[in-house]
Order: sequence, then structure tokens, then C-alpha cells
Amino acid sequence: MSALLSKFRLVQPKTVEEAVDARLGHPGSRFIAGGTDLLVSMRHGIDSPDLLVDLSSIDELTEIETTITGVTIGAGVTIATLARNEAIASRYRALAQAADAIAGPGHRVMATVGGNLCLDTRCIYYNQSEWWRHANAYCLKNRGETCHVAPQGQRCHAAFTGDLAPALLIFGAEIDIVGARGRRRISLSDLYVEDGKAHLTLAAGELIVAVHLPSDPPSSAYAKIRSRAAIDYPLAGVAVALAASGTIISSLRVALTGTNSRPFLLAGTEEFSGRSVDEKLLAEIDRLVQKQVQPMRTTLTSANYRRVVAAALARRLTASLSAAGAA
Amino acid sequence: MTSDSKIVGKHARRGVPLIDGIEKVTGRARYTADLDHADALVGRILRSAVSHGEIVRLDVTKARALPGVLAVITGDDCPYTFGVLPIAMNEYPLARGRVRYRGEPIAAVAAIDAETAERALALIELELKALPAYYTSDAASASSAVPLHDNKPGNVEREVHHQFGDVAQGFAAADLVREERFSCAEINHAQIEPHASLAEFDPLTGRLLVQTVSQVGYYLHLMLARCLNMDSSRIRVIKPFIGGGFGARVEVLNFEIITALLARASVGKVMMQLTREETFITHRARPHTDVRLKLGMKKDGRIVACECNVVQRGGAYAGYGIVTILYAGALLHGLYDIPAVKYDGYRIYTNLPPCGAMRGHGSVNVRHAFECLVDRMARELGLDPFVVRRANLLQAPTRTMNDLVVNSCGLAECLDKVERASRWQERIGRMPPGKGLGMACSHYVSGAAKPIHFTGEPHAVVNLKLDFDGGVTALTGAADIGQGSSTMVAIAVAETLDISLDRVRVIAADTAVTPKDNGAYSSRITFMVGNAAIDAAKRMKAVLIAAAARKLEARPEDIECVGEVFRVGSGDQSSLPFADVVAAALVDEGAITVKGSFTCPPEFQGGKHRGGAVGSTMGFSYAAQVVEVSVDDATGLITVDKVWVALDCGRAINPLAVEGQIQGSVWMGMGQAMCEETRYLDGLPAHASFLEYRVPTTMDSPPIETQIVESIDPYGPFGAKEASEGALAGFPPALVNAIGNAIGINIDELPVTPDRVMDALIQRRRQAKLASSMKAAS
Repeated sequence: MSALLSKFRLVQPKTVEEAVDARLGHPGSRFIAGGTDLLVSMRHGIDSPDLLVDLSSIDELTEIETTITGVTIGAGVTIATLARNEAIASRYRALAQAADAIAGPGHRVMATVGGNLCLDTRCIYYNQSEWWRHANAYCLKNRGETCHVAPQGQRCHAAFTGDLAPALLIFGAEIDIVGARGRRRISLSDLYVEDGKAHLTLAAGELIVAVHLPSDPPSSAYAKIRSRAAIDYPLAGVAVALAASGTIISSLRVALTGTNSRPFLLAGTEEFSGRSVDEKLLAEIDRLVQKQVQPMRTTLTSANYRRVVAAALARRLTASLSAAGAA
Repeated sequence: MTSDSKIVGKHARRGVPLIDGIEKVTGRARYTADLDHADALVGRILRSAVSHGEIVRLDVTKARALPGVLAVITGDDCPYTFGVLPIAMNEYPLARGRVRYRGEPIAAVAAIDAETAERALALIELELKALPAYYTSDAASASSAVPLHDNKPGNVEREVHHQFGDVAQGFAAADLVREERFSCAEINHAQIEPHASLAEFDPLTGRLLVQTVSQVGYYLHLMLARCLNMDSSRIRVIKPFIGGGFGARVEVLNFEIITALLARASVGKVMMQLTREETFITHRARPHTDVRLKLGMKKDGRIVACECNVVQRGGAYAGYGIVTILYAGALLHGLYDIPAVKYDGYRIYTNLPPCGAMRGHGSVNVRHAFECLVDRMARELGLDPFVVRRANLLQAPTRTMNDLVVNSCGLAECLDKVERASRWQERIGRMPPGKGLGMACSHYVSGAAKPIHFTGEPHAVVNLKLDFDGGVTALTGAADIGQGSSTMVAIAVAETLDISLDRVRVIAADTAVTPKDNGAYSSRITFMVGNAAIDAAKRMKAVLIAAAARKLEARPEDIECVGEVFRVGSGDQSSLPFADVVAAALVDEGAITVKGSFTCPPEFQGGKHRGGAVGSTMGFSYAAQVVEVSVDDATGLITVDKVWVALDCGRAINPLAVEGQIQGSVWMGMGQAMCEETRYLDGLPAHASFLEYRVPTTMDSPPIETQIVESIDPYGPFGAKEASEGALAGFPPALVNAIGNAIGINIDELPVTPDRVMDALIQRRRQAKLASSMKAAS
């Protein structure tokens, strides 16, 4: 029942290098930015780090920079700042919409881009108090032997529910990562793997410092389904980017969140290039989504609902982007 | 002087802000958890991890030995049951011998800090032998089920079988008979303030002080005396500011007694603050309810027979359960004039947290079924739903089939108002695709005419004191839980004495100071405490007039008191200001103290049949509402575009507060209708946070256009009735009816979550496909 935090030490480095150094030799340490995800887990006893490395004093993480080659967003930029940024809103509309759809105003002021990308996966058997999980013999993701969602299976099905990732994947975003062995750049899609227990490919102590978006983005949109019009994580979230000349598609990208243990780009949409957006194509998108999403009983809302509405959103966003482009 | 003292009079019809509003919005208000507890021990509770089991071994030796631990208590420390109903107290503050739901308190610790308390909990050795657990009414009432309570075979806590009028004859005479099943999920009050209690035991005087979140300090006072086996004169219960109740705190709650037990055991002061999860587990809210309803209707919309079967999944202990299952049947009456009503109700014990009272107690889920079925039958008969309601109106004053008294009824006017405001007749049937209108009616009692703890005492007592300072102090046991009851008392006193509102201060809910009151439940305070306050103020006025008469050398009957001036005739020659009259009145006897009371006469206390007292009241509030929705058929998401609601509250003593209460009722009904639902996974509450228990957000809140109807009740204070519950029960059916109007699908389950809507849409598509393929094949 406890909501007590475990005892920890807090350090506040001023640079990325100091932050990365601070975690060297501390396997029980964690980075903390807005804390909107981590602190809840700590109060639940899911995570009890002995050292927190606070990223909020690192200025270089909080910049949004626009250049000829695109936009660079610091991982420490808050969701509220991202949502209000006019350059983002006008050119990368899906991203602004996704930012605006995250949780509530109070969360958005605290939460950061990096935090949202690294959001822990969620499950109704996992995001519960210590008392609750103890009473339920814990679970595969945390201290237990069994996945209560799929007891026969070998892996954790907790779902990734970050809103920003799909809205970045459709633009082909890349991320900069700094670790003990220096800096590397990877495609955002390579950050994630389909495993609820270990969905991030980051090595221990590695830190995402920035996100890069290429210039000249296509038109885009993001929408999510949730029970209420605020606060809730997506039951399904869909981002779509459509480049078209007239009604003919030159490129269509669809990315999803909330349905799997990772956010992912829908495979097979490259086949749509050269076709126009009509009912037949929309039905094909619907089928592709329904086939590729893998919602499990990780939420109180049924898995099938999440599958059906993920597809419905993909259709709807594609159709509306096409209509807006044609207009 | 002060025309603004005319609150109820014609001068100030908009009402006044709540007298404690400033303290709340400035953050000065002190809630239980804000009280000074720097020197208090920290209380923590060990809760059962299993749903049903025998306690085989419970050893607290190691926990007690931990340094910093001042007390560890178990069921052995309290062999007394507690409960709200004298006839159904079957719950111990800490389990004895057996646990019946996951989260039930087993032991408790008081320690110097939270960390030590938790370490102590971990040192308690507990062995449980599991028993079969039941999470549905069906499973619990199966013939093979193990009884949760030995005296209740079949786990039926209470059956109710009431029949009034000839139902068979009614159905035979009906032009249309329909029967449908409805299922309403269990919900929770979700009050913003988590539970907390601060208890202090003084070993020198043997006195116990408890400050807690109770809606009824008097019940707690009684139960503390019982469970601690103390002389009740040594106990004092104070209610600080409360962050919402809605029925959650009407019953005495286990943690309140546990905190007091810990304070005595540790010989000190103990602060107990429950987590949100524990607050949800403490529960006592609206049960999962299955309703099977059969109605008979004439072609003109007259309802001629009603047969209703209700099963409530009550949870592990009695709590308020008997009252809830009785209310569900009793309040089938009192809204419409129905000549034949049969009711069968079953309250079932299950291995889940106990249910209890919640805003609209007992009436909401049955009203939901009723208003939905009436709407569907109206459609079938080609009748407008307003026409059907008007065909069945009660004519006040009247006595219902089950002996409930209706003294005033403004439902007809409520219907007129929402029909006009929503432009129903112009718009119904002409809504764009995916949009719909729905309507429903509801009602609620203005206090139980026969209280649960029947003692023969008045239903309410208010004391007034007027002293040298010219201030009037009103003492009332009524708990202001945010609904504005203290403001109502102040207005009633000021209005009756015709003095400025800020001359009155209200001290409420302190059992050492204020007269006993049955507390904040069943919307009783305005009607009962309001009448008692008026009675007290009239007595005080008589004292002041007598003093003014002496001073002015006139007869008391010639003295007029207007706006703090006492005068004879026009007053030009002979008048006295309030202060002079007070001074004159004090000369002989000193401080003026008077007492006012209110009693519901026996003829209002319900029928002679078993359980007939439940539902009895002196005044029913009435409400009608129209809900406009948009349904997204690709996602099942529902948007409430607008709500029009009218409430007959007799007289709005404080219209501003009434409007707030109506909006709150509608909004709470909306939560139940659309997204709120408790969900247990093998008895574990998966919903026990404000993330998973989905109270609507401001983003989900529609414009709510409220209208007040004043039927001027003959017995209510200034003609007032209740205003806080009556409008709730109409929302869920109005929503479901609006969805039916929008997409032609009848939803039988609450809440109407998007996945349920989607399931219904998918099913319809399948059926349409099947029908067309069969047509093609033939």
C-alpha cells in the first residue's frame, strides 16, 4: 500500500558528459527528467534506484534548433514547449498534435521528449502498487515468473504507450545517444524492440540527447483513442504522413503506438506509392493495420477494440490528409 | 438596512457564495491530513492479500519488538462488530478468524515514522488457509457456494418481495408489454480527498479525540464507544474540512476505528492517511446491479404495470446493503403514477470490498433501466418520450402505492422547461447522422423520514447563541462536505431573523459542541436541519421582539423587525437598532441561547410493510433532463454535446449552490454513464487509481444548462426540498436514449464505454450482413 519513495541520492549535472559519468559504476542509478513516469513507478515500488541523475539543469538538452537539414529537438525539451512550438506545429503537425495529446497540462509542463520516447511499457498487471503485485505473485516484467496476460508465453506483452514516437517515426527521425563509449546516431525505429520487458535498445547508462527530423516533411497528422478526452494513455495511437501530387500518393507512412510493446512503422505502405487514396486503398490500410498490431489484454479495455480502432484511425487520418491535400 | 439579507425574499435571487468558499480557494482550509500531526505516530494497516481465507496464524511478536513501534493491533484487540445498521453489524474493524476480500484490514501498526511502520508490517507473520472466492452474484449464490457469513446461506444478505396493486391484471390490460435486462457496473465515489483520520487518546483523562473525514460524526461517535468499549461521554468527534463525500463517508469506516484503537494502544496521537488505492478498497459505493424490468403500457403511454427484479453484488459485508436493496424497490414509486408494481430484490455477499451508499442511493440503476425501457416502448408505440412522461405524472399531494407521501411535485414544469430549452420538438427526428437527443426523469428523497438509528428524538436540532458581540452563532451537527449545508443554515437563520448574513457564524460537526445530527446523507440537511434552524431563529426572534417591546413600550405583536431594525408602525418615531435590542435582551438573562428542532411526523415515515420505512420522506425532488450526443461509429467514442436539466427543489434557498449541485449531479451521472467502473482481477482492484478509474475530465464536460423549478413544498424550509441528488439518475438513461436516437442501437450496459459501443456496432453490421446474405440466398 505504501507510497513511500525508497532512499536515493540526487545529483544535478550541468552537462551531458557529467550526467553520463555520474551513472558509471552505479547499476542501480536512473536518469530523471520530468519524473512523470519514473516517480509513479518508484512509489509503486517497481523501481527503487539508489541514485537519480537529474537532467533538468543541462541546458544543451532543452533547445529546438532549425537548420537547412531539418530540426533538432533536445531530449530535455518539455512536451508543453514542443506542443507550442510554431515551426513544429506548421511543418510537423503530427508531432505537435501528439505532444498536445499527452496526459494533462500539468504533466506536459514537466514531461520531456526524451522521457516520452523512453516511456516504460505499461500493463494492468504491472502498473500497480507493491501490495497489489505481491498479492498477484508479481509478473514476468517485474520480480515474477509469469506473464498474466499470456501465461503460456515466454515474453512480456506490456504495451508501449508513448505518443511522440509514432509521430517521429513517420518522418524518419533519428536520435543521438551518448554513453560511456561516446556519441552515436541511430534511426528512432532502431531504439525499440518487441519485448515488453526490455523494449529499448539503449545500453546501461546511455542517454538520448536529441531527435533529428529531416527537412521538407510531408503533411501529417496524429490521433489517439482513449476513454477520456485527456489524461489517458493511448489505447491506440496512429500517426500518418502523406506525400502526394494531386490525388496520387508519392509516399505514405503510418506508425502506431499503444498496441504493441514498441511503436512501429506499418510495413507495406510503400506499395501504395502511385495509387490514389480511395475506399479500396483505405480498406487495404485497415487490413494491414489489423494484421500487424498485436494488442494483448494489457489494458482494461479489450484488445480487439484497440485493434479495430487503430485501423479506423489509420483510415481516417489517411483520408483526411488526402482530402486536405486535394483541397 | 440590509436588503441583501433578504436571501430567500425577492431581493437576492441569485444566491450567495458558500461561506467557507474563501478558505477553500485560498488554501487556508485545513483538511484532516493538514491538521497538525508533527508529534503524531504514523498508522499503517496490513491488508489481506487473498479474497477469502481463514486466519490460521497471526504473529505480531517481531513487529512489536521493532524499535520505534508503539503499537501493533489485530482482531484480538477489538471483539466488537461495527456497522451502520443496528440489525446488520457483521464486520470487525480488523478481521477476526476470517478474511473475506482482498484488502481487508488484518492488523495495524503505530510507529514513529512511516518507514518504521512499514518495516513492522513486513515483520507480521500471517498464515491464511484459502477458501473459495466469489466475484459475481451468480457465483456467490450458486447452491454449492460456501457462505461468507454462517447465518446467510446462499450468500443472500437480504431478499425483498414487495407487491402493490394487481400486476397480472395490469399486464393483461396493457397494449404493449416489454421485458429487458440491464447491467450497471459497480462504481466508486472517487471523492478527491483520500481517507484520513487523526486520533488522540489522553491516558490521564481517559478521553479520545478523533478528527476524521466522516459525513456523520454521530455514527462514528457511537461506534467508537462500542468498539473501544468506552463511555461515550469521553469521546469527541470533529469533522474538519472535507474534500467530498458522496456517501463514501456516511458509514463508519474501518480505518477510523483502527486509528482510534491504535491511539489508545500506543497511548498517544496517531495519524492515518490512506493511499488512493486503500481509499478505493475501503469502497462502500454503488454495487454492480443487474436489473430485469418488465413494463406494461397503454397506447397512450400510460404505464399500467411494472415488474422489477434487482440483484446487487454487495461485497463482503452488510454495510448499508439492506437499505440499498430496499431503496431500489421503494423508489420505483414516487416519480410516476403506476397502479401496479412488483419488486423482487436480492442483495448478495461476494468476496469484494463492501458496497454502500452513493449519491442517489439505491435509485440510480433501477431508474436507469426504467427510463431506458420507457423510451424504447415509446418508440415502439410511436409516442414522444415527453408525452409518455406526461401521461404518468403524479398529482401532489398524494400517497403512493407503497405509502410514500408526495407533498409537492414540479415534474411537469421540469419537463416543459427542458423540452423548450433543448428545442426538442423542432429537433427530434431531424438530427444529422450520428447525432441524437435523449431524455429522462428522476427524483430523490429530501432525507429519510425514518432515520436508521431510530431513537424517537427529533430528526434535527439546531442551537443558536446571541451574546454581547451581537453575533449569532449557529451550532449544528450537520456535516458540510462541500455541498454548502453550513451556508444554508446561515441563510435560514439570517433570513428568519432578518439580519445580515455575515452576522451569523456556523459551527458544525463537533460532537462536544454541536447538538447531535444524523449527518450528511439522503439529502436530509436542507429539509430537516433547515427547518430546525428556522425554528431556532424564530425562538430567538421572539426573545428579541419581547425585549424591543419592553424598550419601546409597545406590545410584542406590534413590533416589526426589518433589516436589523425593530420598530413600531412605520418606525419614524420609535425604532431601535439591532445592537440596542440585543443589549436590552441580555440585561436580565445574559447570553441568549435557544434551540430549534424538526421532527418528521409518523404519517410520513413510510408504510407498515417490512422495509417500508426506506424511501419515506417528506419531500421528493424531481428532475428532467435532455442530453445531446454525437456518436463516432468508427471508434465508438461518444461526445456529450450539451445537457439541459431542470430540477424541482421546492425553493432554491441558495440558487448559486443549487445550480452547482445540479451540475455536479449531472456530471457524476455522466461519469457513471460513460467511463467510471471498478474492475477487479480475481478480487484485486485493477481500477484503484485516478488513471484507471476514469472520472470525466474537464475536457469531457459538456455545457450544462440548468433551470430551477420551485414547487414550494408545504413542509420544506421556505418551501425547499433537496437539490443535490435528484438530477443524477436521469443522466445515464438520457444518454443511452440519445445514443439510441443517434444510431438506433440500444445499449443495455453501463458504462457506455467506446468498446461497448463498438461491440454493438460490429454486432449490428454482422447481423445486417447475415440478413442480406440470407435474403440473397432465398
